[in-house]
Amino acid sequence: MILNHDSMKPIYVQIAEWLETEIINGNLSVDDKIYSQYQLADLFNINPATAAKGLTQLLENDIVYKKRGLGMFVKENARAIILQKRKNEMMEVMIEDLVKEVNYLDVSNEELFRMIEAIRKKGES
Amino acid sequence: MGVVTCYNVTKMYRRHRAINQLSVNFKEQTITGLIGRNGAGKTSLLKMIAGLTRPTSGDLEVFGEHPFNSLKVSANSIFVDDQMVLPPDLTVSKVLRECQNFYPNWDKVLADRLINYFSISLDVYPDQLSKGKRSTFHAIIGMASRVPLTIFDEPTTGMDYSVRQDFYRALLKDYLEHPRTVILSSHLLNELEDLLEEIILINDGGLKLHESMADLKEYAIGLIGQSSVIWEQINEEQVIYRKNMGSEQSYIVVKNDLSSELKTSLHRSGVQLKPVSPADLCVYITNQSKGGIDDVFDRDES
Repeated sequence: MILNHDSMKPIYVQIAEWLETEIINGNLSVDDKIYSQYQLADLFNINPATAAKGLTQLLENDIVYKKRGLGMFVKENARAIILQKRKNEMMEVMIEDLVKEVNYLDVSNEELFRMIEAIRKKGES
Repeated sequence: MGVVTCYNVTKMYRRHRAINQLSVNFKEQTITGLIGRNGAGKTSLLKMIAGLTRPTSGDLEVFGEHPFNSLKVSANSIFVDDQMVLPPDLTVSKVLRECQNFYPNWDKVLADRLINYFSISLDVYPDQLSKGKRSTFHAIIGMASRVPLTIFDEPTTGMDYSVRQDFYRALLKDYLEHPRTVILSSHLLNELEDLLEEIILINDGGLKLHESMADLKEYAIGLIGQSSVIWEQINEEQVIYRKNMGSEQSYIVVKNDLSSELKTSLHRSGVQLKPVSPADLCVYITNQSKGGIDDVFDRDES
């Protein structure tokens, strides 16, 4: 992965997300040891403090656990947590855009609901 | 814990005040960037820390001692710049041998490998090297000496882009293996963003900012959009920098303490929100006027 320096997303978040992706696509599985802050620093050419901040974020989100002196390891339900988290974030952005448009076009809640139902029906048939 | 602590340090050169009542600490085992414009006082400060010059007043301690004339500081620190004084009658290889005698932790393998990688000839005199090669040679001495306090004053002067990238990477890798206190002064902050952990910004001999790199990246936010729309929601006092783009468009940098409601409302009214790179931010903060160079050419308003 190449870090995006112009993004609103801080580097440490990008590091955390990269590790999350590694877990989602199975490159890292449950109880696997994940990269140390020093390995990440070397890998991405960043200061180890930045890398450590990315790891702390994973720890706070319950995606990894720490074994003193040994490093950090993937938690059992890590994958489910990440998927849930990404779903929430994606939906939020999409719904925000939708609401913006709905306000522009002056669509009522009932009308919006009917539209959603129509599309869902179409999907089912 | 600070390896280097400055309290109210002032340095005068005749009547000129190079450092003005500066109080700042440099953290142990971190890579700290000392940033400032030309003439801000970077070199004056670093030379005092290395014990090469003496503060005019104030209290400066390095490893708990006044660095000037301190053997402890001299043995445990190195000051690297492009004008490093080396004995003129020693060749590159002899200089390296003397370094090995002087610095107990000298990493000969690293030095030899770096000299080889950057293709620096061993049998020439250092002042026969090109500007870039000479800076590289000095930087190699700085890294291989592996002293607890390594000071680089504009180490990349004359190095081309690829050598600079190699130098930053080498410094990071060596730091990962042997953590120590590194102070680096430079004006190429955009190249150093990922390497530095702490940033100390000085201007006119005084401290302007002391932040971690992570905080500095989120310190400010740039707004691009209709001037009238922005000014409806932003106070004049919050502005760090402004630039007019076209007749009705503005680019305005403010401190990133806007509420998320305000951000959403700005976003909804068509204002783009952009991150401000630390390099640009440092320039904006040390600008004399809020409009930068454009103000010089803007004769109507003055």
